Amino acid sequence: MIKKLFLLAIPCVFLLASCNQASKQAEKTKADTATLAVLTFFDSASNYTEKPIRIEGTVVHTCKHGGKRMFLVDGTDSIRVEITAGNNITKFDENLIGSRVKVLGVLKEERVDAKYLNEWEAEVKKPVEDHSTGIHTGAKGHEDKGTQEKLDEINSLRDDLKKSGTDHLSFFSVEAISYSVVK
Amino acid sequence: MQRKTLRRWNNAIHRDLGYFFFGMTLIYALSGIIMNHFKSGDFVHPDYSKKYEQLTVELPAGGLADKTYALKALQKVHEEKHFKSYVSGTGYIQIFFDNGSLYIDLNTGKAELEEKTPRYVLKEFNLLHYNNIKHWFTWFSDAYAVALILLAISGLFVLRGKNGIKWRGALLAAVGIIIPVIIILLYA
Repeated sequence: MIKKLFLLAIPCVFLLASCNQASKQAEKTKADTATLAVLTFFDSASNYTEKPIRIEGTVVHTCKHGGKRMFLVDGTDSIRVEITAGNNITKFDENLIGSRVKVLGVLKEERVDAKYLNEWEAEVKKPVEDHSTGIHTGAKGHEDKGTQEKLDEINSLRDDLKKSGTDHLSFFSVEAISYSVVK
Repeated sequence: MQRKTLRRWNNAIHRDLGYFFFGMTLIYALSGIIMNHFKSGDFVHPDYSKKYEQLTVELPAGGLADKTYALKALQKVHEEKHFKSYVSGTGYIQIFFDNGSLYIDLNTGKAELEEKTPRYVLKEFNLLHYNNIKHWFTWFSDAYAVALILLAISGLFVLRGKNGIKWRGALLAAVGIIIPVIIILLYA
């Protein structure tokens, strides 16, 4: 009997230890998390790549192909921050549009280089396009662009890449861990 | 004797898998119809049906498109009580309310009213079809996919005689394979 209890106790000890470790990790993440503003997001984004951040804004668009991304603005939509759904988020429902949300997530950088643009161009030219490829802007109607419009966008990015004098362009987004609607 | 036992097993597998995955088949079939028409451009959104109306609204006095103006503009479409927020951009304002939005061109006063109605239940089916749930549902839907393969194969051998795979079954199965092959050859 004692032997059985002892065997049972071993996984419990490990479980408690891992829970403790997880809560310590969560506390550490909370303490380390910077709060970024939508309007100044792109000025400071490069300093927080792969780091946890908090951001608050109004949802102007959610992706209709599965709700895997949404875009936040603050007052004006000249600056839109892309939020992608992390593993624990099933989707960003269309009903979120117009709501103010607080997001906790990890800042991600996507590097677009010549190879990326070539692959994107090949995808656009396919009869059945994969909507997860390419840059998503969240602008009105961006998901309904025709092939020619997308090719123009790719060529415009090629020009930007040439002008930048570097081998890539950086696009920043936030992979959401959790979010809540501000009432 | 052995063939008889095999057929009995075949039919039992076909029957029980059919019963067990009846719900999943309906879920995938119904959301499949939605996805089909969404991909073909018949629906603007898979989870919501949307209605658009073009109208003209008054331009803001002094050019200031603020919350007061947003609420006034919503009065025209009787949605002022459902106001959520507004966002402005160069030459336009977009006002959000509970079930839609009003997009106003601030140069012309031309506006587009978007009203949306959730496709209840189908919306949840789409969530499963897209596998947004992930985690254990990935395994359950994989099991369903394997079961569909078994259902298809066992279905070929349910009946004996000329209505079975020896004649009618073989003919229909062949036509059912040829149609997608032709479509692939023509369009892919």
